[in-house]
Amino acid sequence: MAAANEPGPSRNNEEKEKEKDERMFECNICLDTARDAVVSLCGHLFCWPCLHQWLETRPNRQVCPVCKAAISKEKVIPLYGRGSTKQEDPRNKVPPRPPGQRSEPENNGGFPGFGFGDGGFHMSFGIGAFPFGFFTSTFNFGEPRPSAAPRGTPQFEEEQFVSKVFLWVAIMFVCWLLMA
Amino acid sequence: MATKKKPSSDQGSSSSALDSSRWEVSCFWERRLQKELMSLMKEPPPGVTVDAEGAGQNLTQWIIQMDGAQGTLYEGEQFQLQFKFSPKYPFDSPEVTFIGPNIPVHPHVYSNGHICLSILTEDWSPALSVQSVCLSIVSMLSSCKEKKRPPDNSFYVKTCNKNPKKTKWWYHDDSV
Ligand SMILES: [Zn+2]
Ligand SMILES: [Zn+2]
Repeated sequence: MAAANEPGPSRNNEEKEKEKDERMFECNICLDTARDAVVSLCGHLFCWPCLHQWLETRPNRQVCPVCKAAISKEKVIPLYGRGSTKQEDPRNKVPPRPPGQRSEPENNGGFPGFGFGDGGFHMSFGIGAFPFGFFTSTFNFGEPRPSAAPRGTPQFEEEQFVSKVFLWVAIMFVCWLLMA
Repeated sequence: MATKKKPSSDQGSSSSALDSSRWEVSCFWERRLQKELMSLMKEPPPGVTVDAEGAGQNLTQWIIQMDGAQGTLYEGEQFQLQFKFSPKYPFDSPEVTFIGPNIPVHPHVYSNGHICLSILTEDWSPALSVQSVCLSIVSMLSSCKEKKRPPDNSFYVKTCNKNPKKTKWWYHDDSV
């Protein structure tokens, strides 16, 4: 809310003035003012995203682009200027990497009717040791899961009811997670 | 953009054309190449001239004029270097070859223009630039004691890939 009230033009002027001072703090890779700056132990300045990409380019031979000294993710120092709002280690947030996909072990024992449709989109919540098997099947998009009971039979109706109940439990659990 | 056909020595007009196009650039590698081009036009190393108009029209391929340094075996000669950049630049090295009628006769330069220089492949670093590559090539030429082709020139030229980066170079002699 407070950020929305910040006047735009004065921020632009500030940035222009800053630009002059920051020319000497250019990243050795993109040649721009270093963003999310890190400095190597040999003293060379980079944007963390730039350096990260270089380290990924040659994972077996990680050297400083400027002086060829050995370098690694653990051995760079994040720089926090006074102007930086959050003192967050850039190595933790950039570059955004896809989170590791954690699939839950299948939980067929308790609910025989709830098979997992293969190839669908699974939304699984890997928190704690709670068995989320039923979650997964409820949020399963794509191919409809193979139903154990044929449509129209009482058993089918029952399954539909149970799955709705679990959907509600799931929604309430998510709400509880958000509130907590 | 207006297409003015002017001699390439007229750098003033092409520099202003670049200024206006600079703000359309968004990609990382294009942005970095624009910066390099601007600084190479503003402060070119001695004996090095970039065809700014051509490079401004197609950032992925630059032609650079190189004069043989005074007091060296190549004094008075003129060479043309071609730089090709991939979208992975500067993490990936540029493809650099001599082109045109005069390929320098040098133990590390093949007659098809390929250059055996380690910074162009395995010793490449994203902190290097067109300018630093040009300076390395100038100094490689300048330190030459005897004008001759590499010993395996005729075999290499017949068998090599068009792209010198595909060659598995064997860097054995840095003194020449
Ligand atoms: Zn950078
Ligand atoms: Zn260094």
